[in-house]
This record gives sequence, C-alpha cells and structure tokens, in this order.
Amino acid sequence: MNAASAMNAAHFEGRGQADDTAPVRIACKDLNFYYGQFHGLKNVNLDFHDRQVTALIGPSGCGKSTLLRTFNRIYSLYPEQRAEGQILLDGSNILDGNVDLNDLRSRIGMVFQKPTPFPMSIYDNVAFGLRLYEKLPKAELDVRVEESLRKAALWDEVKDKLKQSGMGLSGGQQQRLCIARTVAQRPEVILFDEPTSALDPISTGRIEELIEQLRAEFTIVIVTHNMQQAARISQFTAFMYLGELVEFGPTNRIFMNPVKRQTQDYITGRFG
Amino acid sequence: MTALTERIALASPRTMLRKGPSKGLDSLFRTASFASAMVVLLVLAGILGSIIYGALPAFREFGFGFLTSSAWNIGTEQYGALVAVAGTVASAVLALAIGVPISLGIAVYLTQLCPGWARKPVGMTIELLAAVPSIIYGMWGLFIFAPLFARFVQIPVSNLVEGLPLVGTLFYARVPSGVGVLTAGIILAIMIVPFVASVARDMLDQIPTVLRESAYGIGCTTWEVVRHVLVPQASVSIIGAIMLGLGRALGETMAVTFVVGNANRLSASIFDPSSTIASRIANEFNEADGLQLSSLMALGCILFVITFIVLIIARFLTRRVKVA
Amino acid sequence: MDATAPLPALRTGAAIGGRVRSGRRVADRVLRTGCLLATLLGALVLGSILLMLIVEGLKGFTPLLFTEPTPGPGSVGGGIANAILGSLVMTLIGIVIATPIGVMAGTFLAEYGRTSKVAGVIRFLNDILLSAPSILIGLFVYTLMVRPMGTYSGWAGAVALAIIATPVIVRTTEDMMRLVPGTLREAGAALGAPASTVIVSVTWRAASAGIVTGIILALARIAGETAPLLFTALNNNSWFNANLMGGVANLPVMIYQFALSPYPNWQQLAWAGALLITMTILALSVVARIVIKPQRAR
Repeated sequence: MNAASAMNAAHFEGRGQADDTAPVRIACKDLNFYYGQFHGLKNVNLDFHDRQVTALIGPSGCGKSTLLRTFNRIYSLYPEQRAEGQILLDGSNILDGNVDLNDLRSRIGMVFQKPTPFPMSIYDNVAFGLRLYEKLPKAELDVRVEESLRKAALWDEVKDKLKQSGMGLSGGQQQRLCIARTVAQRPEVILFDEPTSALDPISTGRIEELIEQLRAEFTIVIVTHNMQQAARISQFTAFMYLGELVEFGPTNRIFMNPVKRQTQDYITGRFG
Repeated sequence: MTALTERIALASPRTMLRKGPSKGLDSLFRTASFASAMVVLLVLAGILGSIIYGALPAFREFGFGFLTSSAWNIGTEQYGALVAVAGTVASAVLALAIGVPISLGIAVYLTQLCPGWARKPVGMTIELLAAVPSIIYGMWGLFIFAPLFARFVQIPVSNLVEGLPLVGTLFYARVPSGVGVLTAGIILAIMIVPFVASVARDMLDQIPTVLRESAYGIGCTTWEVVRHVLVPQASVSIIGAIMLGLGRALGETMAVTFVVGNANRLSASIFDPSSTIASRIANEFNEADGLQLSSLMALGCILFVITFIVLIIARFLTRRVKVA
Repeated sequence: MDATAPLPALRTGAAIGGRVRSGRRVADRVLRTGCLLATLLGALVLGSILLMLIVEGLKGFTPLLFTEPTPGPGSVGGGIANAILGSLVMTLIGIVIATPIGVMAGTFLAEYGRTSKVAGVIRFLNDILLSAPSILIGLFVYTLMVRPMGTYSGWAGAVALAIIATPVIVRTTEDMMRLVPGTLREAGAALGAPASTVIVSVTWRAASAGIVTGIILALARIAGETAPLLFTALNNNSWFNANLMGGVANLPVMIYQFALSPYPNWQQLAWAGALLITMTILALSVVARIVIKPQRAR
C-alpha cells in the first residue's frame, strides 16, 4: 500500500460501503460511441447499482464524460454523434429508436460542469422541470420548490429572494440551484458531470455533502477528474482510459488494491 | 421478486402522474420556424422573378443592344443602359477609392491610436453616421456640399486643367454646378465609411494582442505594426467588407438622386452630371409605362445581377476568414 | 531633438534613435496623422449634417407641424401631421409583420439548422437580401401589390418596409441566439423539455436583449427608407383613409418631393421633417446600443 492510498483510506470512514447486492439500475452492454469517425467508447460493459454513488475517473479525453452523456442521450442533440450497443435502464434499452427522449431525460437528471441557471427567477428555475410534466396547483408547486431547495441545501440562503434572478447567485449557489432543479423532477438517476470543477473548495465541500445525502433517494453517477473526490464520495469507481473501461469495483478496492497496472499508475499520479 | 413488484409499484404512479408536453406543439413550432426561413427564400426569388418578368418586353425589343446603347429617348422609344450602368459603376468605384482609405484610417485610429476614454464616443459617432437616412445625405450633398464643392474644387480645378490632355477632359466641368459623378462618389464614400470602418475595426480587434505586442517588442513603429502585422492578418475580411460597401454604393438611391445631376449623357469628365441605375428608376418609374417601364425594370435587373455578384464575392471572402 | 543634442548626449541619442531611420519615423507620423484626420472628417460630416438639420429645421418648427396636413402646391402654411402619422402607421405595420417572421427564421438558423444545407442556403440568401438595393424591393412590391390592386397603398408601403426589416431581424436573432452557451440548451434538454420549450423559455430569454436590439435597429433602418416607398405608398397631401388604400403620406417621400420643389413653404416643411426623422432615428440607434450593453457585460 502506498502513501496516497493510505491517505485516501481515511476518507472511507463514515461513508456507506459498496453494496453490490443492490439492484442494477443502469447496465451498459457492449456500448460503443462515435463522434463522426472518432471511436469515443469501445465495448464498455458496466453496471450501476441502485442508491449507490458510482464515480467515473480517468485522464482527460478517456471517455468518462462521453459515457455519462449516453445515459440521458443528451448526445442526440448533435446529429454527428451516435451510440451502439445497449444501455438498459431498469431492463429496457434506452438506445432504442422509439424511446421518448424527453420522458427519459425527466427520469434521468443531469448536473453540468459549469452552473447552468436559466435566465429567470430562482423559483421559476426550480419549477421549470415540474411545470413540464406535472400540472400542479400553485400551493403544491410552492411545496415542491421548497422541498427541492431544501434537499439542495439552498433554501435558507434564498427563501427571501425567490423572485430574484438565478443568475445573481454565487457560483456554488448556482450549482446547488441546478441540483434543486434536477431533484424537483424526482428523477431516478442523477448524472453529475464534474459538478465542482468550476467551484471553490468550500462550495465543493457542500456539494460533496449534498451528493452523499442525495444517495439515500437517487442512483448517482459522477464524472470527476479529482481522485480524492471520487474516493471521498463514491461507493463504486470505474477507471477509464482511451475510451475503454479498464477497471471497475468498490471504491476502496480500486484505490487500495487496483488490479490493473494502468489503474495503479493513474491513482498514484504516474500519469494523467 | 419483491424487488420487482416494488419497482412496478414505484413506476405506475409515475406514468399516471406524468403527462409529457405536447409533441404536436413542438413540431408546429419547428414547422413555423422553417416556414419563416423559407419566406426569405421566397421573397428573394420573388424580387428576381418580378423584375425579370417586368423587364422581358425591353429585353425582347432591344436584345443585347440594350447593354451597349446610350440612348434614353422617351419620344422615339429608344432605350439603352449604357449611361446608367457607366454612372453606377463610376460613382461606386469613386466611392471606394475615396471611402476605403478613410475607413481604414478610422479603424486603425479607433483600435490602435485612440486614447481609451475617447474610444466609445468616437466609435459611436462613426456608427451614427450609418444610421443617418440616405435622403438626409442627399439633402446635405445638394444644399451644403455641392455649392462648396463647385466653388472651391470644380471651378479652380477646371480653370487649372483646361486645355490639358487627359486631365483636361477628366477634371473639366462644363457647368460647374457642384453636382455630378464625383459628387455622388464622395457622398457615397461618406455613406459606406461607417460600414467598412466598423467591420475593419472588428477584424483588427480580433487580432490577438500577443501578436501586436511582440511586433512592438522588437521595435516596430505603429505604421510598421499596422502595415506588416495587422493588415495582412485582417486583409481578406477587410476586402470582404469593402465588397459589402461596394454593394451598398451600387444600389444606393436617394442620396445619389439628389447629387448625380440626372443627365443622360455619356461624359468623360467626372465633374459632369450623369445618372445611375437607381437614380433613373427613382426619377422616372412613377410616370413611366409601356416600353419605358419595362426598360426601367431591365435596368433594375442589371443592378440586381451586379450587386448579386459583388455580394457573393463579399460573402465568399468573409466566410473564408471565419472558417480559418 | 536627438540630432541637435550636445555631444555627451549623442551616445544615448544614437542608442535611442540610431536604429530608427528617419524614413520610418516619417511614415509613422504620416500614418498617425492620416488616421486622426480620417476620424475627424467623419465626426465633421456628422456634425455638419446635424448642424444643417437643426439650423434649417428649427426655422419651421411650429406646433402646426403636428396638427396640419401637408399643403397643396402653391398654397401657404400647412404642417406634416399626415406624413408623420402615415410613417408611424406603415413603419409599425412593417415591423409587426417582420418581427415574427424574422425571429422565427433566425431561430430556425440558430437552433434547427446549425449544420444543414438548407440553413446554409437561407443564411446566404438572407445576407443578400440584407444588402439588396432597397429600390429593387420597391419594384418587387409594386409588381406584387400595386399593379394587381390598381392603386398605391399604405399596405404595399408597409410590406416593402417589412421586407427590408426582416433580414436585419433574422441576422441579429441568429447571432444573438448563437451567443447563448450550448450548456444552457443541454441543461434544458436534460430536464426533459422539448426543443420548442427550451427555445422559448431559455434561449429566447437569454438572448432577449440582443433580439430586441435587432428589432430596434430594424425599426431605425426602415423609418428613414425612401426608395421603396416611392412606388408603393407614394405620397398624398391629405389625410389618408383608414383602409390605407390610395397614396399614403409619409415623411421620407414628403421630404424628397418638398425639398426639390420650388415652393418655399414646402422646402421649409421638408427641413422640419428631415430634422424630426433624423433625430428619431439617431435616438433609436442610441437606445439600441444601450439595450445591448448588459448583454455584452454578462
């Protein structure tokens, strides 16, 4: 055991242990992805367990964000991008041609690298997704907005200025607003794409705590380039390199006893 | 097994609760936006079609001779495009010759020389020049500029060059009234300056500061930085901007109608009055019918083709830069 | 200064100026002066135009301008109230026609047709239409509306102005919507919103200041257009009918006809109209630039 993993080991205390008996929520089978001619993902086979945090790590360009973006098919916005193989969400293949993308995306929420508040009030930001799919009376909508903002640990900071623009918040608050907006829809899975890379350490800490709390309700997949972060918050870790899945397993095993040489090199900082 | 039933129980209220946004509205929106975009295409096709349709009788009557004839005789029904085309091209070329150096000067001043506090007001002044309606330029040209131009330029220059070969014809005013092809060219030059200057300014602004600083760093003067670093970097798109200005100058109507003199005479002197395609259409269209109307449409057709070619070149040049 | 410096200073003088040949200094000086002069010339022309309009226009600026219609040939007095009203009506109808078409077409180019061939062609044609001589648009609307209807009309004038305004709005709408970061669209789509909802509630909102600027600029552009009105709305010395049929008085054509007329009171009215219209358009242009500012700051 080397020094880095010894240090990481401390972080596992207090976090839930990996539970691979939890039902599989998302399963990738022979997943391939192409950006035009470029082969971005190669034969990825990977399972994501219910109410567990799975971290995708690897050097820049390894395909971790690409993989994340297949789960809600956000890549379909761009005609030159396509995925082949199967991604089973609760057993049904979301890569099927006849899947309703809007419905799929309302079931699988996503939080982006940079905060993406819409140019509208804080309240309307959170209510945006709710209004799309549920016709709620005003009072009930208020309750749902408050509940979501509380879950995102933002309520106390914004409860007096719900009518103000979401663009006026700080970066960390904006990111929590985006989490509240995602949570409001009551999705089954939440995808985080490097959610803290644009934030300061204190905001990062709050978001990490939040992710730990959200795990009680949601299946979470997070892409991060920060290995300590992956070690701190995830139960499972997948290491990717050059578009391939190199190694997958419980986070403490991946960090303390990596099987593959590449994983070990990356975790100990020899490349990446 | 219990897990499965649990999931079904979870899933069923969801499907009942959720009623997705209407698909029909989404595709209606898309169709509406596509239809609006097609309106642009239809209008342009309509412009070309209606002008060609109106011009057909004249083209049938005069054939290719229409382009080379300088006649414009309402009594004998003889019409030709030569004078108007020559006037259009001459005034537009003069406008470029005068306007481009001024535009580039302004662009260089605004981006390289102007002190920071003055940049905004000066830039605004130049941009407001573009907002002044063309008819106001016409009035300014006719009532303010032309008398001054006649007194301080046309008369002295005519006296100076009288009898000399070449310049004696090119710069001799038979009637020094201040209006004529050169006056039109000058007014057009003023009108295209804000357009060319603003594009050139944007181009110069886009050049990375590092490039500029490294040139200054090896001891270049401002002139050398502009000449050897900035202009080569921006040249293609600046030529595109110049072509856009040319397109504008070719089709400009009201300002030119005021100051070109509206004579159907083919003269070698740029001080003499003449006509442009646009000024002739503006002057005669409302009173014209029959072959004259059709000949005016034919002039419009020629104008369309000329400006279309110029604008295509402009577009080609400006796009090449964007891609690179 | 270096050349006339005394001997001990010559060394430093040579070190500073020695490598810069005098030719280079002259060229530099000429460039700086030339650029300054060009800029001054531009400012001088604008100043001279404004001065002309104010001096000549204010002479005839009376309340009657806004109450009396334009006088007939040879009659005294009169105002330009009918022309002001006619210009307002036609410009507003023009912008009301052009705005939905322009915004929707710009939206198509920015959102649906980013990479498609059709969008490329339409983008190109829109640029052509943007720079097409406005007098040709007048000829087109004459053929399309005036000839079949057998009469000049305010409707024809408004359509001609709409055709001029549309490409301006298309262009600014597309440009401004392209400035909206793609992640905002992805965030909208990731919540399961259909494309049209994302466009209406997110992209349009984010680009709204820019789109409004485009509409104001289009308004400023068509408010002073003369050439396309010559063959469509023409002019009239009386109040126009509510159905806008027949010649409809408007400021630009009134200015054109009256400025070149032999009657002093007509010329005076032309100057007053010119002052009014120019100030309105310059004010619109300044407003448009103020509106766009927060957009850039963001």
